[in-house]
Amino acid sequence: ERRSGSLQRKSALFSCVTDQKQIHCHENWSLSPEEFEIWDRLYRIKESDGIKEPVLPQSRFETLENLEEVSKREEEATHELSLSEWRIWQNRAFPTAMVDHSDRCYHFISVMEMIELMRDEQGDCSYELEIQPHLRIEDVNVRRNKSHLSTTTST
Amino acid sequence: MEAAEGEERLLLTQRLKAAVHYTVGCLCQDVAEDQDVEFSKQTVAAISEITFRQCENFAKDLEMFARHAKRTTVTTEDVKLLARRSSSLLKYITQKSEEITSSHMEQKEKKKKKPTVVKGGRTGKEEAPVSESEDSNMT
Repeated sequence: ERRSGSLQRKSALFSCVTDQKQIHCHENWSLSPEEFEIWDRLYRIKESDGIKEPVLPQSRFETLENLEEVSKREEEATHELSLSEWRIWQNRAFPTAMVDHSDRCYHFISVMEMIELMRDEQGDCSYELEIQPHLRIEDVNVRRNKSHLSTTTST
Repeated sequence: MEAAEGEERLLLTQRLKAAVHYTVGCLCQDVAEDQDVEFSKQTVAAISEITFRQCENFAKDLEMFARHAKRTTVTTEDVKLLARRSSSLLKYITQKSEEITSSHMEQKEKKKKKPTVVKGGRTGKEEAPVSESEDSNMT
């Protein structure tokens, strides 16, 4: 259809619209008919697109009762965005645009690098060898090795 | 001088890391026995380092939460805020917090029942009524 105008319109959805009529429509929280038309035509994922709908993984605790609703999703129809698929890229800081990396992001990068360095270790662990001489027994709850003392309290 | 201070700081850090590593090892052993799996030493080391660094995230957030409430002392309310994003975690932490508070109260009750003389209060005025209202406030 009006394919020629689509490039210009791509940014129209998010940029300030100067036309008075359009501003009037935009006072609502929802899309105006004009904006809806643009969204529907350019961005909305339809069956004919042959792309799966992207979804974020839900948080789940292995050791806690999970309260969060497990929404039923047709796994086949969605593409769950992965936070671990590209892990070998993550031992370095990725480029930024406007927002700098946070401290916790740098912690994450450092640990990924540490894991990378230990990847090929067999048996003895360099981290353990470096850190263990500094252990002061008064800092920890000592328990006999091997004997399985349950740490679980009342549940 | 500065080099010596840095050295001392490093030693303290390593001592802390060693304590975390030991405790993480114990906890991993529990999980290993429970789930019938094995953790490699490298896995335990990585979890230990993550835990150590997570403490920095927690400490900074707690300090900010307390300051946000115009306090200089971190309280259990700040700790609950750390868990605000997950209702499961928040429920767990809140329960634990209530357990701790109630066991605290029991201990206080026990102490109170001992027929000891009321110590000189910090404020220095009306000791007995003050301590009583303090207790009733907390129940």
